[in-house]
Amino acid sequence: MLDIKNLHVSVGGKEILKGLTLSIQPGQVHAIMGPNGSGKSTLSYVLAGRAGYDITEGSITYNGEDLTALKPEERAAKGVFLAMQYPVEIPGVTTMTFLKTALNSQRRARGEPDLDAVSVLKQVRAKAKLLNVSEEMLKRALNVGFSGGEKKRLEILQMSVFEPKLAVLDETDSGLDIDALRVVAEGVNALRDPSRAMLVITHYQRLLDYIVPDRIHVLAGGRIVAEGGKELALELEAKGYEHILKEPA
Amino acid sequence: MTGITALGLPEARRNEAAAVFRARGVPHRRVEEWKYSDLKSALGEAGIGAGQADLRISHLPSGVETFDLAGPNPPDWVREYFGLASRNVMSAASLSLSAGGTAFRVPRGLAVAEPLKFEFTGSGHVRGLVVLEDGASLTLVEGVTVDKFRNAGLEIVLGEAARLDHVRVSPNAGDAVLVEEVSVRIAQGGQYRAHFAAFGSKLSRMEVEIALEGEGAEAHLSGVALLDGKRHSDVTTHVIHRTVGTRSTQLFKHVAGGHAKAVYQGKVTVAKGANGSDSNQSAKALLLGENAEADLKPELEIFADDVKCAHGAAVGDLDAESLFYLRARGIPEAEARGLLLQAFLEDAVAEIPNTDLRELVRTELLTALKALV
Repeated sequence: MLDIKNLHVSVGGKEILKGLTLSIQPGQVHAIMGPNGSGKSTLSYVLAGRAGYDITEGSITYNGEDLTALKPEERAAKGVFLAMQYPVEIPGVTTMTFLKTALNSQRRARGEPDLDAVSVLKQVRAKAKLLNVSEEMLKRALNVGFSGGEKKRLEILQMSVFEPKLAVLDETDSGLDIDALRVVAEGVNALRDPSRAMLVITHYQRLLDYIVPDRIHVLAGGRIVAEGGKELALELEAKGYEHILKEPA
Repeated sequence: MTGITALGLPEARRNEAAAVFRARGVPHRRVEEWKYSDLKSALGEAGIGAGQADLRISHLPSGVETFDLAGPNPPDWVREYFGLASRNVMSAASLSLSAGGTAFRVPRGLAVAEPLKFEFTGSGHVRGLVVLEDGASLTLVEGVTVDKFRNAGLEIVLGEAARLDHVRVSPNAGDAVLVEEVSVRIAQGGQYRAHFAAFGSKLSRMEVEIALEGEGAEAHLSGVALLDGKRHSDVTTHVIHRTVGTRSTQLFKHVAGGHAKAVYQGKVTVAKGANGSDSNQSAKALLLGENAEADLKPELEIFADDVKCAHGAAVGDLDAESLFYLRARGIPEAEARGLLLQAFLEDAVAEIPNTDLRELVRTELLTALKALV
């Protein structure tokens, strides 16, 4: 589903990703772990198509298509979703209006008919309940005044409403206490599906206790330096990144 | 000036106004208060002329009394209040040059449920007067028709505990040059709320002077401007806190694209003895292109003690981070920009107390936004 080959990315002239290669199949959950500044967020932004990230070498292929040629909104319509580390607050747009506009934009781009307000509301309400997202939050301006946990729950709610094929979760665990983490992880696990791939980006092993990955990649200095099964997370937790970084990849 | 004598309206006030206008002439960019709105050059050789514009009533709720200012034998309330405000030069011009217009009165204690709707129309000069007696309340919906040049002068007098909600929507008026000068006097416990939605023209100026004359009097102003092409819109306010315990708020949001120019000049004066006054002023503008211009000029003049005055102004661009967030959720760029602009304007629109009018302004904005992005 997703094939990243020898990816080099520069931000403001500085090379951040230096030859990253990664491949994910449908139904799989991969985790990317790495210390601060290793290029984790850069990878997530490049996948979502944020401006200012220059691909100088390599390729990203998504379902056989060159992902880098698509605009952010086109990627979303084709099923790419990024749960952001810092969801943006947008005063003046209610959460519900935003969800409806986004969902229908994606549908329109795929040639599907718009859903009316009532059906969107019904769908969102049912899914919101599972994630502990209150009716009141849906009526408030998008992310405005939401706590860290509320923002992250809303990101996962969006994921469940948009039903992406490839979901990238960028540090979804940051700023969450253990209860909030559990709610978010349950939400994510409920969306595991044979047709859906997930890329979970995290600094800590903790999240991976709840969202158990099929494969773990360690990112450092803009490259994958170690790979393994879920047990790699425990090793990292016990010995730290330093230990892995010293060993030749 | 013989015609004015025949009307029986206060002739001395007209003469005084004529003298003010003769002394100062048509304002231009070297006149400080008009430096962002060069009326003289916008009018060109034609000048302000002496044409007669009109005030057209589109809905008159029952209970509201009217008087045709061109007619004979004005009632006492017109004699008392008409033509008192001639401090501003263009207001002086309309007072001295207009022979017509309409005056409205809501009698003491009457709460008028339906809105009074009128519009200034035609080219030339015109006057209006709205008097709310003690305890009366009214919603005033003001439209604007597109004509070559109009200079309208509107006086509003609010008695004790009277309450007026005023909403004015000024459409995209192309090559029109439109000037309106509003003066408001508010007695004890009276409340004036106004919202000005402006879509601009060759030159559009809305100037409001508000005197909070009685204890506890309040004025709450808000407005939006959405401009493109070469359009211009200027809202200039002057709120004067004359006595203790008066309150005023202002919230203006302006968006300018193309070669458009959005102007906000807001002056708050707290007079000597107006202790405990509270005023808050906020003006923000978004520029959508390198050639668009926004001028924000908040000013404070304080001669009293123990007052609370805050003001802020900021000019910016659409937030790139927010735009990316919306696009990453599948919303196409143009639509995402529109949504963010709508959101930027929303808190000023939300100030409109009447739900129907709020929706009306929102709809106008949406239509204009579609053309803009």
